[in-house]
Amino acid sequence: MKWLDSLTEGSARALAKRTSRRGFIGSLGAILVGVSTVPLLPVARGASPPGTSGPSTGKAPGGPADDKAKHVNDPTSCDYWRHCAIDGYLCGCCGGSENSCPPGTEMSAITWVGTCHNPVDGRDYVVSYNDCCGKSTCGRCLCNRNERDTPLYVPFQSNDYNWCSGSGKTNIPYHCSTARIVSVAK
Amino acid sequence: MKSPRWVLSAAVACAPLALALLGPAAALAALPPDPLATVQSLPRPASPHWVWVNDFVFSHMVSGKAMLVDGDSGRFLGELDTGFGSQRVVLAPDGQVIYSPETYFSRGTRGVRTDVVTLYDPSHLSPLGEIVIPPKRSSNMPMISNAQLTDDGRFLLIYNFTPAQSITVVDTRSRKFVGEVETSGCALIFPTGARSFFSLCADGALLHTVLDDTGHASKSDRTQPLFDVDHDPLTEKGVRVGDTWYFVSFSGMLYPFKWEQGSVKLLQAWPLLSAAEKAQSWRPGGLQQLAVHTGLNRLYAIMHQGPLETHKDPGREVWVYDLVRQARIQKIAMKNNSGSIQVTRDSHPLLFSIFIESTVLDVYDATTGNLLRSVTDIGTTPTVLVTP
Repeated sequence: MKWLDSLTEGSARALAKRTSRRGFIGSLGAILVGVSTVPLLPVARGASPPGTSGPSTGKAPGGPADDKAKHVNDPTSCDYWRHCAIDGYLCGCCGGSENSCPPGTEMSAITWVGTCHNPVDGRDYVVSYNDCCGKSTCGRCLCNRNERDTPLYVPFQSNDYNWCSGSGKTNIPYHCSTARIVSVAK
Repeated sequence: MKSPRWVLSAAVACAPLALALLGPAAALAALPPDPLATVQSLPRPASPHWVWVNDFVFSHMVSGKAMLVDGDSGRFLGELDTGFGSQRVVLAPDGQVIYSPETYFSRGTRGVRTDVVTLYDPSHLSPLGEIVIPPKRSSNMPMISNAQLTDDGRFLLIYNFTPAQSITVVDTRSRKFVGEVETSGCALIFPTGARSFFSLCADGALLHTVLDDTGHASKSDRTQPLFDVDHDPLTEKGVRVGDTWYFVSFSGMLYPFKWEQGSVKLLQAWPLLSAAEKAQSWRPGGLQQLAVHTGLNRLYAIMHQGPLETHKDPGREVWVYDLVRQARIQKIAMKNNSGSIQVTRDSHPLLFSIFIESTVLDVYDATTGNLLRSVTDIGTTPTVLVTP
């Protein structure tokens, strides 16, 4: 399915570049035009106190506006600026980083692409959320946002699929998700 | 409540008297040895108040399972191990077999992938056999519509996503893989009759497929778009009463699709929420957010307050509707967060409720809404509930 993978990422990038973050839901500025990363747990928002981890999910820190600002440059936080459209376990908490997979996993070619605002340099970036595949779920730092998420019958905007489905060598076991910068959004 | 000290004191005081009355032989009678290798089995037919709690064990997805609980007693009756990313078990209408679409790798999380439908004996919860199917089964948040039987029980249908979309057809009579039905652009399975089903399409259309006696597609029709995917999409968590499937939109509109004279028609959609409730941001949510009781013609919907992007969030209320009058008749306050609900089919129905981040199964009287019992420690990440 290489042609489909290339088409998917290419189309998503193009659309992300064409689209301003203004006018989208909430303050995230996310454009969820690509595909999702992993079957997600529909967590109860606000169930855990700010800055704590949920016992069952290993949820990364997140909370009210004050707390979000504190974590905006923390790659292991759901509030990290690149994570404006993240869904899944953060690879930075699993032996990888925001742009690399943990040892022994394979990066999926299929991605969910978002456009995120970097408050440090004031630019918007196209961010690609590639999955790392081939090992059991990492289980650390689960981030789950459903902005502009669609049901399973609109696959490339649905975060309920395991997108390791399209990976090559390692097949479908999902481990964690990255947040690679693709380009500056034009 | 009596204090432990009081109970202990009373027991010590009464013991000599009891021994004197019973005599030394009775007091010292030895227990018989327990038989070796006793294994429980389950009666048939299954109780209508049993529920299968499916669990895809998100922290360790190769170890999916399905757990059987008796709603009347709260007893944990047994378990099936259902492999990687398991979604749900499918119960044969005659109760003679349990079908489970499963995925395995030859080396745990690596090696050769094999997808099978495992057939389980409902009395002993042990495998009867397996049917190898193409390694294409979709890995997604578990949905009831990932796998369905045709109404006559003859063909088992399984949704594939590679990410090309199709549906695997298994003949339950010959216990063989029959073939695949292509459903490009359309997902999941919603049976409409003895040999037919529809899938939901990305443009809001429905793809309706009829199978022939061999399980191959003999007819395939695609409707015009019937709902607005861009502005108010329907969740894929549909429920069925007779010849009508009900889907709720993100904003709380209920869409009835009726199977009539060989095609699917959209009846008039109606709101589950009043204008005032919408203004207060009430909306349906959850993984298995709707349930129905066919005999009572009632719809149960998990409700919570939140913005649009909370459409999968759990709720602390279940609202009950009369589907004939199209009116809400009851609100049930839930003890715990509710993400998945199911109602038993009998005339004294139970309402089961669980949430993927919890492991407590709550059991309610589905007519009064009274909480009957809570069953703790059910799995790890429980997903969808299946009743006989």
